[in-house]
Amino acid sequence: MAVSWLRKLASRTQVPVFPVLGKQGDRALRYLALSPEIELVDSPRHASVLLIAGEVPADRFEPLRRVHDQLPYPFTTLWFRSEPWPHLENVPRVEKLDELPGALITAHRELMAGQRDSAPRILTDKPPNPWKGEGDFGQGGEGMMGGVPYGRPMAMNMQDDIRDGLTLDSLTFRLGPFFSAFPPGMMAEITLQGDLVQTWSTQLAPYPQSLDPVFFTARERPVPIAELELARARHHLHRLFQALRLAGLENASLDALRLAQNLSTSSTLGGLRRRLVRSGFFRLSSMEGGVLDPEQARQIGGPAARAAGLDDDLRLEDAGYRRLRFSPACQTHGNTRARWQQTLNEIDQSLHLAQQAERDEVYTSEVDRIETPRGPWSEQGPEDASPLLDEVLPGLEWGEALATVASLDVAAVVNEGGGTQTPDELRVVQGGSGNVFK
Amino acid sequence: MFLNELLLPVLMVTFMLTVGAYVVAVLDRLIAGAFGAPQAGSVWLAPMARGAWLMTQHANATEAPDWQAWRLAPALYLALAAIGLAVVPWSESLVATDLVTSVVLWGSVEALATVVIFLHGWSANALLPLIGGYRYVALGLSYILISMFVLIGVALPAESLQFTQVVASQEALWNVLRQPLGLPLFLIVGLGMTFWGPLNLADSADLAGGTASEISGPPRLVWDVARAAMLVAFSGVAASAFLGGWLGPWLPGPLWMAIKMLAVLLVLLLLGRLLPRIAPERCVTLMWVVLLPLSFLDLVWAGIGALL
Repeated sequence: MAVSWLRKLASRTQVPVFPVLGKQGDRALRYLALSPEIELVDSPRHASVLLIAGEVPADRFEPLRRVHDQLPYPFTTLWFRSEPWPHLENVPRVEKLDELPGALITAHRELMAGQRDSAPRILTDKPPNPWKGEGDFGQGGEGMMGGVPYGRPMAMNMQDDIRDGLTLDSLTFRLGPFFSAFPPGMMAEITLQGDLVQTWSTQLAPYPQSLDPVFFTARERPVPIAELELARARHHLHRLFQALRLAGLENASLDALRLAQNLSTSSTLGGLRRRLVRSGFFRLSSMEGGVLDPEQARQIGGPAARAAGLDDDLRLEDAGYRRLRFSPACQTHGNTRARWQQTLNEIDQSLHLAQQAERDEVYTSEVDRIETPRGPWSEQGPEDASPLLDEVLPGLEWGEALATVASLDVAAVVNEGGGTQTPDELRVVQGGSGNVFK
Repeated sequence: MFLNELLLPVLMVTFMLTVGAYVVAVLDRLIAGAFGAPQAGSVWLAPMARGAWLMTQHANATEAPDWQAWRLAPALYLALAAIGLAVVPWSESLVATDLVTSVVLWGSVEALATVVIFLHGWSANALLPLIGGYRYVALGLSYILISMFVLIGVALPAESLQFTQVVASQEALWNVLRQPLGLPLFLIVGLGMTFWGPLNLADSADLAGGTASEISGPPRLVWDVARAAMLVAFSGVAASAFLGGWLGPWLPGPLWMAIKMLAVLLVLLLLGRLLPRIAPERCVTLMWVVLLPLSFLDLVWAGIGALL
């Protein structure tokens, strides 16, 4: 009796969901962030439902299995636009985005009511590598040092400290591809001394990202600059949402998301910018790290390049933009702070351009060379720049390193637009102004 | 004796732990809602529903944790919060434990909190909790020093290390006015020891929950309740040390105390929602270079005030 009363009460909590993002799964994440009944959690230990959103490539199956088995009992899974594994045919699947929150709530409630069994463990409960019964501690090496117990190198100070000479034991580990502070799909092998990044090696590149369809249309024919600029501002606001969430400004992050959702030519950035400045986002958060030299900045392109002082912008070559007297505004320092200031300035600039372009009905003129929010797209689209993180992140503290990752848009861009969404859904998720898909 | 010195104090502290943690959860949700977080269902029921869910969720295991320390750490943090609540005076006579050294006892709670939080991070034998634990230790020493100076400052005019005497010494003028630097500095200490909001470096989002990233079920419930209860205990100490505790016209003393504690809680929770997490290096620099000298100044100010 008492148990059923407890479970009934438990079923009324916000549904704690750990999202595993597959390709284009970030759209579902943004949709759920604004759903009042859903709580997105950063650790699988804190979840009741594991959501697999988007197609997870085969080379991420093994990490997915491990994440799956980290959820404490009782838990359940839900596959959104993703093919469950062969032995999980009966697990619930959802295809429509607007049905997703409801499905998650139902899954949690049924689990609490005992109408649904907890998902089974997939892996056997044994160490990933065998314990070698050699050495003083069975670690498989000589004396206390050496050996790789359970397949992991022991924490030893093999490298000099690169900050202040205080050498600590270094710790090597792999993180990703479902770590919430990484771009979806990215995995890295990291060596830390204390909380200082000693080495960073990107093992799996983030999934290629899809841009708003208007950017793909712009590669085929002239499009209204108003639509293009609104889509650009929306892309940047989505990135800002992630960064603010990471910085601990949850409410401001939701404001950024709402602004992106309701973006139109009459939108302004003023309120959000004021809020960020007053909160101390630019002064208190980790903002000094991730300085890019011009060559690195050029490799990433887009706002990251302009934040490092390069005034590269393909919009300068477009007659439509010249008519609107467009000129790129740049920062000089090339660090995380400069990138966010640049991003906010570009959102502001895009909104002004959209306003002007809508009034004067200005269209783009170039189709072969367009500036996407991720960077220039001429012969080839923006390519994966995640290997650059290996150069930029060593020497930074953990928080600073992650703030740098959030400020750099490193994922490649898929070569085709479209995807599996209907135009209506795109309006819901991306907050189209309504005239984007005419 | 059994009733007055054991049963009633224990009941009082247990009541405060439970109600206090609930009030923190509700207030935080109300504030989040006021700033635009999407909310569904009743704000009043939500903390209980969450508690019920954590009760039904299993406590997970990590690979070879230090089981005893891992399970004990949340309980120890809760015990520290209980000790803090026990020394908070609600009126001249209504106080669970009116020790003559209660200010010192609170100081030891702050110091031991560092040990317990590190233990929580370290004993999970997992990466992200460990980094959270390290970070907290780096922060801990800097805020404890500030706290000591500020608390000595309030003990000086009272000529006592007893919270009831500290409150009584504010009959003419509250310490918040007598030592204007004290309360702002102490509030920062409060955010530090409860690792809340801008000073949440131990259980932060960039560590997927830090020291708590690997716990689930009842241990997580205890940890969450303990953090909230510590915030309440801290509010009680701050209200006693700076806002005149139970002193005030018209209303009964305990009610004044509750109002003042709520006011401190509200400020802490608001700061938690309004400010971003401070970069650890910046945080430590700020503590040692700016706030610690300010706490010296506060102490000198308090000393001169006591001499005059």
